[in-house]
Amino acid sequence: MNQDVLIVGGGIAGMESALTLGDMGFKVLLVEKEGSVGGHMILLSKVFPTLDCASCISTPKMAATAHHPNVTVMTNTRVESIEKQPDGTFKVRLNRQVTSVNPAACTGCGECELVCTVAIPDEFNFDLAARRAAHIPFPQAVPKKAIISRYGSSPCSHTCPAGVKAHGYVSLVRAGKYEEAFKLHMEDAPLPGTLARACYAPCEGACTRGEAEGAVSIRQIKRFMVDRYYADHPEPDYGPPETLLDKKVAVVGSGPAGLSAAYQLARKGYPVTVFEADEESGGMLRYAIPAYRLPRDVVDRDIANITALGVEIRTGSPVKSVKALKDQGYDAVFLGVGTSEAWKLGVEGEDLEGVRDCIGFLKDVNTGKLRDLKGKTVAIIGGGNSAIDPARMAVRLGAAKVLIMYRRSRAEMPAHDWEVQGALDEGVQLETLKTPKRFLGENGRLTKIEYIKMRLGEPDDSGRRRPIPVDGSETEMNVDLAVLAIGLKPNTNPFAGELKENRNGTFTADPETLLTPVPGIFAGGDAVTGPSMIVNAIGQGKRAAFYIDRFLQGESLEGVTFDERLSEVDKQEVLSRGTLSKRERHNAPELTVAERIQGVEEIEGCFTEEEARTAANRCIDCGGCAECHECAETCPADAIDFDLRPEQTTEEVRSVIVSTGYKLFDPHHKEKYGFGKYPNVITAMQMDRLVAPTKPYNHTLRPSDGKSPDNIAFVLCTGSRDCTVGNHLCSRVCCMYSIKQAQLIMGALPMADITIYFMDIRAFGKGFEEFYQQAKGMGVNFVKGRVAEIEETEDQNLLVHYEDIEGGGGHTQAEHDLVVLSVGLLPNPDALRLFKDGALESDPYSYVREIDEDLLPAKTNLDGVFVAGTSSAIRDIPDTILHSGAAAAQTAAYLEKSGVQR
Amino acid sequence: MSDRRLGVFICHCGGNISDYVDVEKVRAEVEKDPDVVVARTTMFACSDASQEEIKAHIKEHDLDGIVVASCSPRLHLETFKGVAERAGMNPYCYSQANIREQCSWAHRNEMPQATDKAVRIIRSALAHTRLSEELSTIRVETTPRVVVIGAGMAGMVASLTLADMGLDVFLVEREAEVGGWTKRWGKLFPSERQGAELVKELHEKVKAQPKITLFTEAELVEKSGTVGDFTVTLRVKDKSNISLKVGAIIVATGFDPYQPAENEYGWGGDRVVTLRREVKTVAYIYCVGSRQSEDCGLEHPNQYCSRYCCSAAVHAGIKAVARDPELNQYHLYRDMRTYGKYELLYEKASHEGSVFVRFDEEAPPEVFPEGDKMIVKAADVLDAGEDIEIPADLVVLVTGMVPRKNDALIAALKIPTDGGGFFNEIHPKLRPVETAINGVFIAGASQGPKTLSESVASSLAAVAKGGALVMKGYVDLDPHVAVVDPDACTWCGKCAEACPYGAIEKVKEGDKEVARVIDALCKGGGPCVPACPEGALDLKGYTNGQIRSMIESMLKEAV
Repeated sequence: MNQDVLIVGGGIAGMESALTLGDMGFKVLLVEKEGSVGGHMILLSKVFPTLDCASCISTPKMAATAHHPNVTVMTNTRVESIEKQPDGTFKVRLNRQVTSVNPAACTGCGECELVCTVAIPDEFNFDLAARRAAHIPFPQAVPKKAIISRYGSSPCSHTCPAGVKAHGYVSLVRAGKYEEAFKLHMEDAPLPGTLARACYAPCEGACTRGEAEGAVSIRQIKRFMVDRYYADHPEPDYGPPETLLDKKVAVVGSGPAGLSAAYQLARKGYPVTVFEADEESGGMLRYAIPAYRLPRDVVDRDIANITALGVEIRTGSPVKSVKALKDQGYDAVFLGVGTSEAWKLGVEGEDLEGVRDCIGFLKDVNTGKLRDLKGKTVAIIGGGNSAIDPARMAVRLGAAKVLIMYRRSRAEMPAHDWEVQGALDEGVQLETLKTPKRFLGENGRLTKIEYIKMRLGEPDDSGRRRPIPVDGSETEMNVDLAVLAIGLKPNTNPFAGELKENRNGTFTADPETLLTPVPGIFAGGDAVTGPSMIVNAIGQGKRAAFYIDRFLQGESLEGVTFDERLSEVDKQEVLSRGTLSKRERHNAPELTVAERIQGVEEIEGCFTEEEARTAANRCIDCGGCAECHECAETCPADAIDFDLRPEQTTEEVRSVIVSTGYKLFDPHHKEKYGFGKYPNVITAMQMDRLVAPTKPYNHTLRPSDGKSPDNIAFVLCTGSRDCTVGNHLCSRVCCMYSIKQAQLIMGALPMADITIYFMDIRAFGKGFEEFYQQAKGMGVNFVKGRVAEIEETEDQNLLVHYEDIEGGGGHTQAEHDLVVLSVGLLPNPDALRLFKDGALESDPYSYVREIDEDLLPAKTNLDGVFVAGTSSAIRDIPDTILHSGAAAAQTAAYLEKSGVQR
Repeated sequence: MSDRRLGVFICHCGGNISDYVDVEKVRAEVEKDPDVVVARTTMFACSDASQEEIKAHIKEHDLDGIVVASCSPRLHLETFKGVAERAGMNPYCYSQANIREQCSWAHRNEMPQATDKAVRIIRSALAHTRLSEELSTIRVETTPRVVVIGAGMAGMVASLTLADMGLDVFLVEREAEVGGWTKRWGKLFPSERQGAELVKELHEKVKAQPKITLFTEAELVEKSGTVGDFTVTLRVKDKSNISLKVGAIIVATGFDPYQPAENEYGWGGDRVVTLRREVKTVAYIYCVGSRQSEDCGLEHPNQYCSRYCCSAAVHAGIKAVARDPELNQYHLYRDMRTYGKYELLYEKASHEGSVFVRFDEEAPPEVFPEGDKMIVKAADVLDAGEDIEIPADLVVLVTGMVPRKNDALIAALKIPTDGGGFFNEIHPKLRPVETAINGVFIAGASQGPKTLSESVASSLAAVAKGGALVMKGYVDLDPHVAVVDPDACTWCGKCAEACPYGAIEKVKEGDKEVARVIDALCKGGGPCVPACPEGALDLKGYTNGQIRSMIESMLKEAV
């Protein structure tokens, strides 16, 4: 698609230029970064000095632009760069932004807005009200298409190894949609009850609120959501798929990795058989994790989520070799055998009775083989999470003394601090900077540990300080039982000769596809990664299922991306949005220490509904859209597609008009006026919305308490003619829009007093002076004097300090119940970024420079590039339209003369 | 009941209508009309989404006439005609009911009555549409030539750009020299270039451009024809009249400086204008001839602000102090209107020692001679209202702009003017360079006070609109023209006398002389219709039958 003219920016200037050039017969490409054309003007209430409705003037231009046969409009699109070619044409790189909506299918019905669970400050209403993340920009938008506001992945969802949309289910719980929350979770991970209890919740570690008062209690919110769902649904409410595919899959191991792979494959329609060597399914979930952290009925209910799909779990069925499975007719195999073998210390006495590995110990405890340690001294060797569980279990079995022996200090312990603390609370002793040198026994039975003391040296590869033995510090300690928790690896024996191993004893597999060197054999979970989190294993199972499916469908495993996520939002940007108000984190109740150690009752309780929703309400929607997928479920046109990604295209054009408009001055920079601090100090753009026909509230009111203001002040020159904020220029329009608003307020609030604090009233355009005099006649109080400072009173009124020039000078103050800052207009820096290396020249104030304002208005330093409207200087609407006409005329003349061909 | 299938769409206009008119009640009422197949309300009828809905209704219900009840047809008649056309309906079977300017805005505290009135207005529009005929536009080929009136800066830039766009241009200047006021000026703000140099530069370009024909000492005295196909007559000094065919007319006749009244701030004395000795102290008095109060005693006060004068006077102060750093300068102003980037001039002048004295509108400065000085006396608002007296060697009256005297041109082109005499655009935002006369565009300070660059920008905007008109090659005119029933006509000539456009000619119809309307010239104004004693004339689109039916519908009880 080659065009005569590229117009950057679809505000009133861009539209006017586009329509004029289109009428002349030129082909125009109008690119707008927002979701609708119309610019700032469509946001205004009425426009001075005629008091026309801004909508009434804008909408016909917007519609005409969209329907013009010679004008192509691209919204949600950024111009990345423009480069002049040797033949005089311009090469334009465009980037169509993610809206997650297919514009061709969207009918603008707005159903998505009704079900969206995320509220975001509405930029159309200058943050006075909220809108949904799924939204249509405003009622008169052109084109009227929905947009899902996605600023990136929320950190919680982005960090989850299983791709669970944490933000999504938190948002659904917030909205009271508990079943939907559960089902969203089930898309990515089928063991929600387990994760709600035993997940180390990297989501919470990533939560932006963690930088403030504490992360959102995401895991406990999940716990509420799952417990409620399971209470209502003792069994899954679905069955196997109606039709099965003809390729069979074998999964080895029924731990989280295997279950996750089986679940995802079964959902796709594959017949899946899970082979489990143990007597019961669940792997580590059942055999290693203590019930006080993860009750067994929860594991059972979680596993029912998988078996309900028709997945057969054959327990007590160790797999002898991969080949055996292939011989049985399985087309693909997933090995998720976990890490059931413990590393040994390699010291003397390790095979004495009474020296055990943590997995064997926990398995015996969890299967009831070991019920009592009364009076015994138990030493756990190691500092990871796998050391904590045996220690705390030993306490529950009545051990007289339980200690954890670790060779570095507490600070270096890999175990989570709260786990260590839990153990200490329950009476476990910590023996740090010690390591067993040998185990001593009598009659083949352990009686003592001889340990050596350690000191910390320089940091090693892991960043932790290296433990160094202290010579001569050997000491003996009486113990009855020693549990080694120093590391785990998979049992690779059955597959020896078939698969390859890494140096640490794990299977080798491609980290992306999880394919082993043997075709059709995939491996994942702890067996590949080494000991890790449950949620990581679930993610591995899901990943394997994705690639196994492709493998079985004969599709290439290369050139695709599994679970592609938007890049993570910048937390600092999120924090700077100003949507964060302080709300403390609360946790679910826990058993007391005395209660805990009586048995294996679950320590942590569950949120009530109210607590869960309160906790969910602390979410600040970092990524905008929570990916709860409610809109996609609801959309009658099936137009919502979360997999859509930015689209880069290149165009060639013969000329360019820059009409990127202006930026409003941010009044936060004028600290003395208290914007952002005092709720009843608002900007004029907010006031414009308050008096617009499409106003956010039914009445004109002040933000702090919804009261009808009756004494309103306007502070002119906020951010203009003010060297303290770096803007010496006059913004040209503020006097007039303030006078306009004053007139409109007098209509809306006839009893209100209005004061305008000004330096000079600049009513210079056609009909402006008359409009000013009319406002004076209506009773608007004009006070000459610049406002120095604004303070808040107890009842949230504002004290305005000013120099009362006409009253004889001197510092005076007046009280108002609403203050409107008539903010100035600044250049939009986007204009100068369009061309590389600053090729497009600016004037000293960062506006696009017109090389000959007098004779060739709109012409820039680049041949074939013109500027329209406020990109080159602040202008009011009539002047902008005239200037856009000039840009169109210049462009037309250039196109006729230049000879550059399309 | 007729066999028409009509649709009615009632607009809330945000709240502009629905806050004052019960639109749902109106809808329910007009839906009772047996010809109305569909009646709907909508938040913004003019929004793209609503336009698409109306289009869908037209197609779905096979409508052959629609009424949109919203704002003034001046705003949106063309919008909704376009909707009808895109839906495949004849656009002349569309009527707009103005229930905003003529109803909701006029009756803000009378909802029941306003609702009643809205029903009547819509019924009358329905009556108009019910009797509407399918009409087609009259296509006129455009002449790819433009006449530009006024060879000041705006006119010359306009001509050069039109020529660059490939169009032939006739540039018509009343005076012997081109350049208007600019040629008399020294350094201009903000470019710091000499006015005369700019004029010379443009004049050279005009002379070198073969597509431009420059007529000096020439005036446009007559215009006939229609948009896209005008014939204009020029009266050139010492020559016979010249007749030219053009597609569009751009008027850039500029302004005149305000001439102070005798004794206004001492005007008329030699100390104010004529200098024969060294000047040590200058006083500038601003807003002379501008921002005059409604009750200042003048018959036609210039209430408007002249826009350029603050910046121009401040700029003059900067130039003056550059020549003589010892010069004392006092600026007596009301509001310093150095808008936009001109603020920097004000900053610079303040830093360079100019003293700014703000006077109140109610207490303007007094100027009187004392010795060899002119004393300027004022109460300085910026200094607690203290009276100051400035012994000035020179008093500069900062005068505003007034419209040019152009009675003959205005009469020939029939351009509407505002109260003061500046040309009136159709709409300052929607159509700022177009006039009520199709094909006649206004540019520069003839529309209102402007700086040079603003004036040139506006002339280029006129070039864009005029260029778009003639470059398209044709223009479609509304078919609202008068028709003569030759059987009833007895040719008395009264219709031809009533027509201001000479659109009625006498023709032979068999052996009978009858009147005939020249469609391309007829503007559909309609004075011929009542002038006919035989009732032989009617106006397409607004027939007597339609008007009668509209009146009857309006008189019917609303509910």
